[in-house]
Amino acid sequence: MKISYEDTKDCKVITGKMALPNQYFAGRVGSKFIIALRDEHKILGVRCENCDKVLVPPREYCEKCLSKLDESWIELSNEGTITNYTIVNYNDRHLPRRAPYILAMIQVDGADTPFPHIVEGIDVEDVKVGMRVKAVFAGETTNTIRDLDHFEPV
Amino acid sequence: MGKRNRNVGIIGIGQTEYSSHKEHQNQVEMVNEGVRYALEDAGITLDDIDCVIHGNMELFEMVHQPDLWHSLGSGAYGKEQLRITTGGTTGASLVCAADNLVASGMYDVVMAIGLEKLQEGHTTGGITNMADPLWFRHLQTGALTATTATMMMEEFGEERAKRAAMKYRIMMDKHACLNPRAHRRFGLDYDQIDDLMNTSPQLVGELRLIHMCSQSDGACVMIFASEEKAKKLCKNPVWIRDHITVHREETFNNFGIEMPEMTHHYAARKLFERNGVTNPVEYFDVFEMYDPSAWWGLDWAREFLLLKGDEHIRLLEDGEFDLDGKLPINPSGGVTASNPIGATAMLRPAEAAMQIRGDAGPQQIKKEVRHALASGFGGTLWTVLIMLEKDLDWQEV
Amino acid sequence: MAQYFGTAVEDIFNTMGERFLPEGAQDVNVTIGYNISGDGGGHWKVTIQEGTLKVETMDGEVADCTAVLHANAETFVGVTLGRIDAGEAFSSGNIKVDGDLTVLIAILPKAFRPFKPVVKASTIVESVEERFRPEKAEGVDVKIGYDLSGEGGGQWTVVVKDQTCTLKDVLDDDCTVVMRMEAQVFVDLNQGKLDGATAFTSGQVKVDGDIGAAGQTTSLFRKYVSEGAAEEKGEELISLKCLPSINQRYATGPMMGKWFDGLKEKKFYAAKCPECGRTLVPPREICAQCRVRCNELVEVGPEGTVTIVDVVYYASPDPLTGKIRETPYTALFMILDGASNDESFAHDLNPKDIDRIKSGMKVRPVWADDRKGNYKDLLYFEIAD
Repeated sequence: MKISYEDTKDCKVITGKMALPNQYFAGRVGSKFIIALRDEHKILGVRCENCDKVLVPPREYCEKCLSKLDESWIELSNEGTITNYTIVNYNDRHLPRRAPYILAMIQVDGADTPFPHIVEGIDVEDVKVGMRVKAVFAGETTNTIRDLDHFEPV
Repeated sequence: MGKRNRNVGIIGIGQTEYSSHKEHQNQVEMVNEGVRYALEDAGITLDDIDCVIHGNMELFEMVHQPDLWHSLGSGAYGKEQLRITTGGTTGASLVCAADNLVASGMYDVVMAIGLEKLQEGHTTGGITNMADPLWFRHLQTGALTATTATMMMEEFGEERAKRAAMKYRIMMDKHACLNPRAHRRFGLDYDQIDDLMNTSPQLVGELRLIHMCSQSDGACVMIFASEEKAKKLCKNPVWIRDHITVHREETFNNFGIEMPEMTHHYAARKLFERNGVTNPVEYFDVFEMYDPSAWWGLDWAREFLLLKGDEHIRLLEDGEFDLDGKLPINPSGGVTASNPIGATAMLRPAEAAMQIRGDAGPQQIKKEVRHALASGFGGTLWTVLIMLEKDLDWQEV
Repeated sequence: MAQYFGTAVEDIFNTMGERFLPEGAQDVNVTIGYNISGDGGGHWKVTIQEGTLKVETMDGEVADCTAVLHANAETFVGVTLGRIDAGEAFSSGNIKVDGDLTVLIAILPKAFRPFKPVVKASTIVESVEERFRPEKAEGVDVKIGYDLSGEGGGQWTVVVKDQTCTLKDVLDDDCTVVMRMEAQVFVDLNQGKLDGATAFTSGQVKVDGDIGAAGQTTSLFRKYVSEGAAEEKGEELISLKCLPSINQRYATGPMMGKWFDGLKEKKFYAAKCPECGRTLVPPREICAQCRVRCNELVEVGPEGTVTIVDVVYYASPDPLTGKIRETPYTALFMILDGASNDESFAHDLNPKDIDRIKSGMKVRPVWADDRKGNYKDLLYFEIAD
């Protein structure tokens, strides 16, 4: 029999799911960073002597000059400044908070790089670039970045 | 196949160790390790690299577009980057792509990164999800089938075929025991043939556990340069003479009454024809073949070397595929020894290149190696075939 | 003989010879006396002279050595293994030393490799009832046989039924699975010194019977930890385990849509290439060889001729549920009646035909009674006779 591609009467849609269990290793450097958040409530960075920059989250090698960084750990402040932000306005099961919530880039004192995190404790309309915030650590830990639970205004 | 604009040499090779225990490194750090080794081997820095190409089987590590995350360790910051995902042939495709990019004149020095971190993923699940979701995904058992074993036993007799496949496997393990970077080294001996032939647990039909490749974690990085740069930067660049890619439909359906020409045979036939190689067994000094199982390794020896009848089995039985034979196969131990899928197909030209350079390590072939053949395999019996040369003298031919 | 933390006092002295490091004992000339009291204790004299070692068992109290140590057996073993803090043992008087204390502190660690308790295979097997995890044994009814050869070996059957575990020191005839290996291989596997997959693949472990049951042993029992194993403060390496799940909707297009309709009607539809004439089954829009669009469907089968038989013994577990298909099962490659010779169709074989199936036989499809137009409509094929 002839098939006509314009005729869609035989076309169907089949539902399926792609779900595979997997894991991600933090590695030595990543583990040290998370353990410091979890157990000591400290934020650690690493310093690249060559680029003269302090990087957080820490990594084993500098991506620009390939210097080895995992022997130059620096304890950073738990306080920092918001360098930018976005308001998350939709809900999805993988998101850490219900909408609306603030996702900000926070540069903690001592670091040259900001990292993203949740900001709570203020209305979403009141968040501003330049705001000072401090880290609040999680009571129940999960061995992830969320052992630092969120930042709140100082 | 068009004319090559300029010659391309391999000037650096870096490999991490292959194992199934890399809990101490995340993916970025593993990529970085391979990159550092390759740069060191080539004696250059990141500043000399124009373009980075990256490849693995994406679903295995469950990271979408991992080349972007891995740029933290790959040195791709500020450079142009491409990504290649061609299943199991990825590593070899990376080599072909690097060759094309440099030969074209668009880039002078290209770094290719192949990697896999299967411990973090779910391999069988990943492979099963390659099959089309409408029909084959529900029937697939991963990558295992004994069709080749069944066909070989019918053609050569059960006893002879089983002995040959087991001899091949043990030969691969002996090579792996010499290779310091190999993942699995069992220390097998030929007097175990009868025992293992009958006692190794069956996976599918006569495909037994001992025949099958493992899954490994690791990265392989290679650096390619134009002829001018290669000669300036490197004492002994290895030249890429030619390569061919033969993929086919993503269906596992060529087990009918008439079997179409296998991609391996097609690739070898075309590649050798256009390069004037009439007797591959005589011409090549080493063959690093992507052999996912001992049965396939043995069967494909016939396909790749354009042999007939039982010539390949006789060559094996006469020891001609050993390190001191006429055409050593897989001095590195092959895929049954180490299989970091995204890198495995790159390991083949990498190990072949090291044989040409003369610094492959304890598994170095003693005779001079001037002409090397390397193959990649993937998907539903796809092939990539690469020819490497020690000197640039083939162009007068 | 009395054991403390899994080790007897005499084990420590009996292994001194193999643990001796002559290069760490150069320029050392000492004698050390040991008076160990309590169950399993005794008297020993150790002489280290010009890089050589002599260990003697003595009948009575030892004296007149460079240093003489007095302790009860439990404290002596505990301190040696690092399970009892040495400082506290001294302070509390549980260890007393006459003579030159520095001999023990400075010389001993350089002259000997630390003592590591030796574990026997039989000790590990005999602890199986204590290590059993009933909560993991719901619905489990197996008999696991162990046939361990060599020193410290033996034969045992571990019976797991009704969420209880019993150890028998014989090898039963009706074990679900029997694992055979050298006793030392068994010890190395349990102590993590040998990886299971390697041991199995290289033939060091032979498994008779249901391999799946062998795999279950890891979840039914807690890992063996020898009493003497000091808690090694290893590095903590973090791993994030997750199960990303993405819902999907796949469009079939007209060809596969018709294929599924065909299944409802107990028919197989194939695409026919207008140029080369070959059939593609299941139907595909493009003939990859001619690179043209196929716009004709033809009926093929429903019976077929088998070309190759694949008997599958190892089925990988479903990644989501962990369930494993029952093995062995058979996959068939066949040419459906009327289809071209070079494109095979694959499906399963009715388990009842596993022993009879051969290449060349004719097979027919077996359909589900209630067909909805999806892959479940076709159950399997069976021999057509």
